[in-house]
Amino acid sequence: MIDKSLRRLLMVLVVCFSVLLVQISRIQVLDAEDLRNNPENGRSILRDFNQRRGPILTIDGTIVADSTEVFDSAFTYQRQYPEAELYAHTAGYYSFNLGASGVEKTYNDWLSGRSAALRLSGLNSFLGGAGEPGTVVLSIDHRLQEAAQELLAGREGSVVLLQPSTGAVLAMYSENTFDPRLLANHDGAAAVAASAELNDAPGNPRRPAAFSDNFFPGSSFKVVTAAALLDGDVGAIDVPPSAEYFAPLASRPIGNSGGTLCGGSIDDMIASSCNTGFARLAAEFIGPEQMSDTAEGFGFNDPLPFDLAGSVAAVYPTDFGDRLRDPEGENLVGVYADSPVLAQSALGQNNVSASPLQMAVVAAAVANGGEAMSPHVVHEVRKADGSVVHTVESDVFSTATSPETALALQLAMRGAVLDGTARGLAIDGIDVGAKTGTAQLGEDEAGSHAWVIGFAGDPGFPPEIAFAVHVKANPEVPDQSGSRTAVPIARELVAQYFGLT
Amino acid sequence: MALFTPVGPEDGLHHPRTVEMGLLVGAGLLTAGAFGLAALANRSDTPPAVLPFLGLVLLLLGTAHFMVRRLAPSAEPTLLPVVGFLNGLGYVMIARLDEDFAARQSVWTLVGLVAFTATLIVVPSIRRLADFRYLLALGGLILLLLPLLPYIGVEIRGARIWVNMRFFTIQPGEFAKVVLTLFLAGYLVDKRELLTVSTRRFAGINIPDLRHFAPLALALAIAILVMVAERDLGSSLLFFTLFVVMMYLATSRVAYVIGGLVSFIAGSVLSYQMFSHVQRRVTAWLDPFSDANDSGFQVAEASFAMADGGLVGTGLGEGTPGVIPAVTTDMIFAAIGEEFGLLGAAGVLVAFLLFVGAGFRVALDAVDPFEKLVAGGLTALLGFQVFVIVGGVVRILPLTGVTLPFVSYGGSSLVANYVILAILIRISDSAAKDRSHGGADKTLLGTS
Repeated sequence: MIDKSLRRLLMVLVVCFSVLLVQISRIQVLDAEDLRNNPENGRSILRDFNQRRGPILTIDGTIVADSTEVFDSAFTYQRQYPEAELYAHTAGYYSFNLGASGVEKTYNDWLSGRSAALRLSGLNSFLGGAGEPGTVVLSIDHRLQEAAQELLAGREGSVVLLQPSTGAVLAMYSENTFDPRLLANHDGAAAVAASAELNDAPGNPRRPAAFSDNFFPGSSFKVVTAAALLDGDVGAIDVPPSAEYFAPLASRPIGNSGGTLCGGSIDDMIASSCNTGFARLAAEFIGPEQMSDTAEGFGFNDPLPFDLAGSVAAVYPTDFGDRLRDPEGENLVGVYADSPVLAQSALGQNNVSASPLQMAVVAAAVANGGEAMSPHVVHEVRKADGSVVHTVESDVFSTATSPETALALQLAMRGAVLDGTARGLAIDGIDVGAKTGTAQLGEDEAGSHAWVIGFAGDPGFPPEIAFAVHVKANPEVPDQSGSRTAVPIARELVAQYFGLT
Repeated sequence: MALFTPVGPEDGLHHPRTVEMGLLVGAGLLTAGAFGLAALANRSDTPPAVLPFLGLVLLLLGTAHFMVRRLAPSAEPTLLPVVGFLNGLGYVMIARLDEDFAARQSVWTLVGLVAFTATLIVVPSIRRLADFRYLLALGGLILLLLPLLPYIGVEIRGARIWVNMRFFTIQPGEFAKVVLTLFLAGYLVDKRELLTVSTRRFAGINIPDLRHFAPLALALAIAILVMVAERDLGSSLLFFTLFVVMMYLATSRVAYVIGGLVSFIAGSVLSYQMFSHVQRRVTAWLDPFSDANDSGFQVAEASFAMADGGLVGTGLGEGTPGVIPAVTTDMIFAAIGEEFGLLGAAGVLVAFLLFVGAGFRVALDAVDPFEKLVAGGLTALLGFQVFVIVGGVVRILPLTGVTLPFVSYGGSSLVANYVILAILIRISDSAAKDRSHGGADKTLLGTS
């Protein structure tokens, strides 16, 4: 009698265990994908923090970010940033509590080994785990990055150095900045507190001003205006010299710096940074459509294609009001309701604004025969054994000007260095072209943004580098200008690149 | 008896001890292999200091084998190796999760094997224990009540089931289960005829004389009440299951099972309405993911861990099972699922199924009805305990905190389960001796 019960009871237990086997098959195989993607599932993040993460290096081998094993912490690996704030806006930070930014964010799949190309190699991939972590190599040159920091000397502003032919970023540094080590702290409370403090800090140090903030570009924008003229229907023309210019419908004149008389050819006007001449060209000869088209050809009004998140769209107006008719109301004339605004926009004022990276792209496009390359800070991804698994391809994102126009602009900008506002950039043995900019904040505010954009190379060869230097307007330094403030920084940077210091 | 045939000629390669030794070597190799994997993993929490303890665990299992050789030479040969595999795998998992727990677990394994050997030495015949059934009932109830006493009782994580022994704590309830199984078997063998024979009919159902039922119902009620007072849901459920199982085994009457199920459902509804911690468990069971950061956290994390493991697992030391609360005890099955995958988790369940099968074979082979009930009851208790805890981990049942036998960290559970193993081995050895004496043992005639 007991035996019969025993056999039945065994069957009950076998059924119970079968139910368990079915359920673990569901959890571990059939429903596994859904469970892994469940929004409440924080395990992939946790796994990333408990495994070694690939390092970030500069192209010359300086360690920007690395993981070291720690033993007294919630996680096994601590992200280290030996260069502190120097690469905070490019490499970014990687924090359990605060997420990630910069390359740490956009290249997370490579750094964590989750990228398909890395999973294919290694036994782990076969077993469903992550592959070996990748090493991300930045195109940034550590010497130039350090020079950018030193040359800004704590002033708020940005330095961007590009390779015109590829769009590779050779240096990119902005003040204010921050120390990523504060945010990558495993002590979550400390990291969150540091984050809150940074958010309240003056000058918004977490924001990479070089590509996330727009400023009035001032006269550095005249390169775009000149390109619009040369690529437009009118072509190269001379403007009669004047000291004042009243745009159609304008109630106040546009004057020149120091009240000087200027005009002449594009070369003359770029060298002297002639306000009246460029304002007249835009309002009377180029017209709103060509101005907008050319500005957008350089990348305005769309976020720049960039391999870091948070690239801001530079702004150039696309609407200058209705075109007006002659007094008889019969024929359209070349005058728009907002012609005064159009005249000012030619000078990078009024509604025009651009990030330092955008202005570097303007210089790079000119230096590259009119083709604007997508800027990027990552050069390639390597495996631990040094083999390359991912190369960032150069990509023409826009044809900004014709090759002829680009050559003409290069000549004009060289002229500004030879005998113009960018004279301070003249370096023996190096072919430098540049355009300065001094953008006043306004009538009521003291201080001006100091700009210079340009390119440099060996004489007789295409330019090797393009640059933009921006020093933010500071009411306490009212005499800041492109020539006085930005040009010396650019000069040192170019000299550093060519090994002349 | 046809379902399970006894082991063949007891000589040479077919001798049960030879079979046992071979299987034990296999279990030892599996354990050492898993341990090697943990040490080789890229990042591992297994420090070299655990190695001597692993050696100790393996040595102990070897010693257990020779103890069985001396003390119960004709015993069933698969029980000890299966336990060796489960204990070894559990130990490696604990070592990978927590070094301190691993050291303590190896000491508890030593204590467990001392208890195993002591049981084999002190109890040469299980059937004699039937004479002490009322003493055992008293002992079981005292063990159950100990944690409620002031000064020595300790409450941990809301359940008052521990007794403070100054340097460590024990759960007397784990031992109470064994002792009360012995009592139930003794009482039921004594009274099963009376409980089977109906004396009257009520509403079309044959009702046995309730007088014989009273002591059982009293014992059950006290046990359940005590466990409810200690807020030990898992043990209440298991004790209730044990009671129903023993009644059914002794009487073969399905009515007891139905009655048990009805009162179980009534009790469940009642405790759901009375206790907020029961409501939380049920909510977390029905939909752990809607409140995955609070009440459902433990169960949701267990599923996420097992999903990460997939078919073959992350590899030992490669997963992150540490986030699951109580991962070394209640949730250790989820850690096995994560790092050894579906194959490893299913392997553990199959090992338990082998144990249950072997345990029932011992019960079927036993000649003495008391020993049959004890073997069947203890095996079923262990089997249902696996179902209750694994079912809780994988969302088949609400999670109740009981250990995964031999695998989870926990001294009392490990020692009590080694006592269960010793009892099963002793019963199977006695049965083999009974048969070799021509099966003419007097006990065949029953005890009453």
